[in-house]
Amino acid sequence: MSPDLQRLPGNPNPLRWLMPVVWLVLLGVAVKAMPLATPALEWLSPDTDGVVYERTAFTTLLWRHALTVGVAAVLTVIVGITAGVAVTRPRGRDFLPLVGQCASLGQTFPPVAVLALAVPVLGFGTLPIVCALVLYGLLPIVRNTLAGLQNVDDTLIATARGMGMTGRQRLYRVELPLAAPVILAGVRTSITVNIATAALGATVGASNLGEPIIAGIVNGNTAYVVQGAVIIALLALSVDSLLDVWQRQLTQSRERH
Amino acid sequence: MIELRNVSKDFGDVQAVDDISFSVPRGKFCALVGASGCGKSSTLRMINRLTEQSRGDILLDDQAIQDYDPVKLRRRIGYAIQETGLFPHWNVMRNIATVPKLLKWPATRVHQRVEELMHFLHLPVAEFAHKYPGELSGGQAQRVGVARALAADPDILLMDEPFGALDPITRGQLQTMLARLQARLHKTVVLVTHDMDEALRLADHLVVMREGAIVQQGSPLALLQKPANDYVDSLLGGLERGLKQAALTRVRDHMAPLGPTLPAQSRVPDGYTLRQTLSVMLRDHSERVTVVDTNDMPVGELSLRKLVKEAHTREGEAHES
Amino acid sequence: MALMDALPLQSARWRPWQPNPVLLCLAVAMLATLAGLDVVSVAPNRIAAPTGYSLWGATGIPGAALALLLLGAMTGLAAYPGRYRYPALLTVSGLLLALIPFAMMLAAFRLIEPGVAQARLGIGPALWVLLFMLMLCLVELRLRMQLARGWLLLMLLPIVGVWWLCAAFWLDRLALVQEFQARHDAFYRALVEHLALVGIAVTLSTVLGVAIAMLIRRFAAGRTTAFAILNFFQTIPSLALFGLLLAPLAWLSARFDALAAIGVQGIGWTPALIALVAYSLLPMVRNTHVALEAVSPAALDAARGMGMRPAQRFLLVRLPLALPILLEGLRITTVQAIGLTAVAALIGAGGLGTLIFQGLGQSAMSMVLLGALPIIVMAFVADTALGTLAARLRHGDSTRQGDRA
Repeated sequence: MSPDLQRLPGNPNPLRWLMPVVWLVLLGVAVKAMPLATPALEWLSPDTDGVVYERTAFTTLLWRHALTVGVAAVLTVIVGITAGVAVTRPRGRDFLPLVGQCASLGQTFPPVAVLALAVPVLGFGTLPIVCALVLYGLLPIVRNTLAGLQNVDDTLIATARGMGMTGRQRLYRVELPLAAPVILAGVRTSITVNIATAALGATVGASNLGEPIIAGIVNGNTAYVVQGAVIIALLALSVDSLLDVWQRQLTQSRERH
Repeated sequence: MIELRNVSKDFGDVQAVDDISFSVPRGKFCALVGASGCGKSSTLRMINRLTEQSRGDILLDDQAIQDYDPVKLRRRIGYAIQETGLFPHWNVMRNIATVPKLLKWPATRVHQRVEELMHFLHLPVAEFAHKYPGELSGGQAQRVGVARALAADPDILLMDEPFGALDPITRGQLQTMLARLQARLHKTVVLVTHDMDEALRLADHLVVMREGAIVQQGSPLALLQKPANDYVDSLLGGLERGLKQAALTRVRDHMAPLGPTLPAQSRVPDGYTLRQTLSVMLRDHSERVTVVDTNDMPVGELSLRKLVKEAHTREGEAHES
Repeated sequence: MALMDALPLQSARWRPWQPNPVLLCLAVAMLATLAGLDVVSVAPNRIAAPTGYSLWGATGIPGAALALLLLGAMTGLAAYPGRYRYPALLTVSGLLLALIPFAMMLAAFRLIEPGVAQARLGIGPALWVLLFMLMLCLVELRLRMQLARGWLLLMLLPIVGVWWLCAAFWLDRLALVQEFQARHDAFYRALVEHLALVGIAVTLSTVLGVAIAMLIRRFAAGRTTAFAILNFFQTIPSLALFGLLLAPLAWLSARFDALAAIGVQGIGWTPALIALVAYSLLPMVRNTHVALEAVSPAALDAARGMGMRPAQRFLLVRLPLALPILLEGLRITTVQAIGLTAVAALIGAGGLGTLIFQGLGQSAMSMVLLGALPIIVMAFVADTALGTLAARLRHGDSTRQGDRA
């Protein structure tokens, strides 16, 4: 997998799917075949009787976790990219400083505090954590959208304009495609961080992969904690490597043109 | 006095500098000229031991530079580079004071020296002392760089493409400034440049390098009169060479005593170069000019025919030697 | 707010002669908020469900009229250009902020009968939104008027003073105030514990992070491994990292009396501190590494060429030039640690998280607020302070930017 080989035009690296597949297979194994690890888990917490978390099936927890992060990600991406695009248009330019400010404020708010503040308004369950994730994940996307759009070469935009493209055509055919890899990098950071952060939702009654962790902490059962942590880590690594492949393809296809 | 004897430098398998020898007498200005990657910068960096030579000897005042402590050696040698290397977190004053402060000069002396240098390099103290490098133009930053190199009054000045990144007008101004500086201070200077005109204008001694080796060295006139090969010739500007040579020669060194004939109508001051004189001849459609001194009194004359004949004999001599 | 420096921005220009659409939108949104959402809520006791009241219902004609007047003035000032409108807008925003506690006092006076000892006043959603939007107004005004951050803070000081005075002497009906009075000892203890944990964790991770970054620079081969390990820590959810340390530490303290004697145990501050440091190391090491590497090679070459010794090169050139990015790492680390320490309460490390989780357990939202608000304020203050310091150190050299996680 030499970098030179990867860059050869028209010759996409056949091994590029290797890492995502490996992580996904491991994730599947962890979710489906956790009882197989019983001896190791028993060694981890010898004093407890049930070492494999069984209150809710791991598949259900994984699904709920993915759904929580997914909904938050869709919202963040829509809000973040729309905001980023809007404030770089001539009409929205006045809002640029404020939007930047809001995005950075979002990351200053600790997720636990947001969670705590959201509970009185939204009640216990999954909604507060979605809210916290959206706030927390906004900054990388907004920041990268702004950076990506503003790094597009001015002469290119001038050329596009000179060829008679309308503002909308310039945005969709020139600016967004060129900014795409940078924006995607922001989305990747945002989602990966949020997969880990979503576990906090279990503290306000959301049922996801944080549940075994909380149960483990409360009952002093390290095995539970390990199970939750391993599956979350594998989920994060799978999603991260998938987005990595996508990002690479975007960059490569651009180099090929 | 700097002397390099059979110096080579290898970077791994690549031989950057290949068995070169030259010397720069005290108070002389030497220019290393060549295309980028010819080893001229490596040569310069060996003199203040920023890189160590692989083979050969480098002598400073007849003593091998390896005998000096590298840090003390560098503090004795002024060093200016293309990217200026000014410290962005220090203002102009602090930047210039770098080496004096390293040498622990008393504060008042440092202050005095910095102001003197800023004055010298046309950087008004009130305006520039407290500016940061980020607020300076390229030319100003480069002048601060030169001031900083001169700060501890070193005998030797090493300059690596100091004006390389500047626009032609600013570069010309700084070259003039440097020439004036050298006329007053008589430092021993080694300048690295890819600009032959800059070298011809400033240096007493030129060392032309190519692929790590010296192609030719000598005074500017010697090179112009007899380039060693086509490469040097092309660096010197090929067809333009005659004019460049003329630009280095004063008319007073070539004029003939006033003859019995009537003085020519065109007059040129005796401080003019041959190139300027030729220009006057072309402008005035005259084959002959009268050379006058500062009081406008005729002191000699020069004819085109004599000039051409002289150039011919000079070239002949050069070929024989 | 310091992250603002990271965002690619053209500087907002001072344009007094054009309408300001941002403030216009904010003013209209604030009017809509006050019209549509509840300003305060009243609950008969600590846990019972509260009833919400709109601005009209809570403060009657005087409050509603005053709010309408001020927000109307804001809308007008934003829409119609004039010479002094930005200072005027700043004054109006400040007034609105300062009047909020008085509105609450009025509401308490009107809505709660003096005889009901247990009744308490809650802050409604409209007030939170109003507060947030007023903050945005101040930010926008600061950018337009090109005020230094310090000036804005100076302006906020008297307003905070007014709030504090009201809270301390006249707002005893406010649920938050009652909660604080009921458990101010616990609150102060939690605050000190929180600050201590954050302080120790940040100090440790700074020292360790800088040391690791220097080692990485010296032994380039270890770089990939070191970053892989540090990255790995970040994929483990913070919650799990706290939990994972419980068992091994409990085992260690049971096995070695010396460790137990210095306070190492499965539950408490030891696992919290270890997890906090492990989490903080990545941003710290990465920023230190980037900072030290980003120093211009020309400056370093010049430093060497002028005869600086290695130690002088590091202390006089490399370190000062790296400091802004290094501080950026410190800022990220600190803000992150303030939030994570709240989670540490789950494993018995104390801190303000205790109040949050106890409050959540008892469904006592004012107790949750008592824990959450100081955390947000701390994060905010740390962010602003370190951001200002980094900007101060940058000397108008705006081209250098740090790696921001």
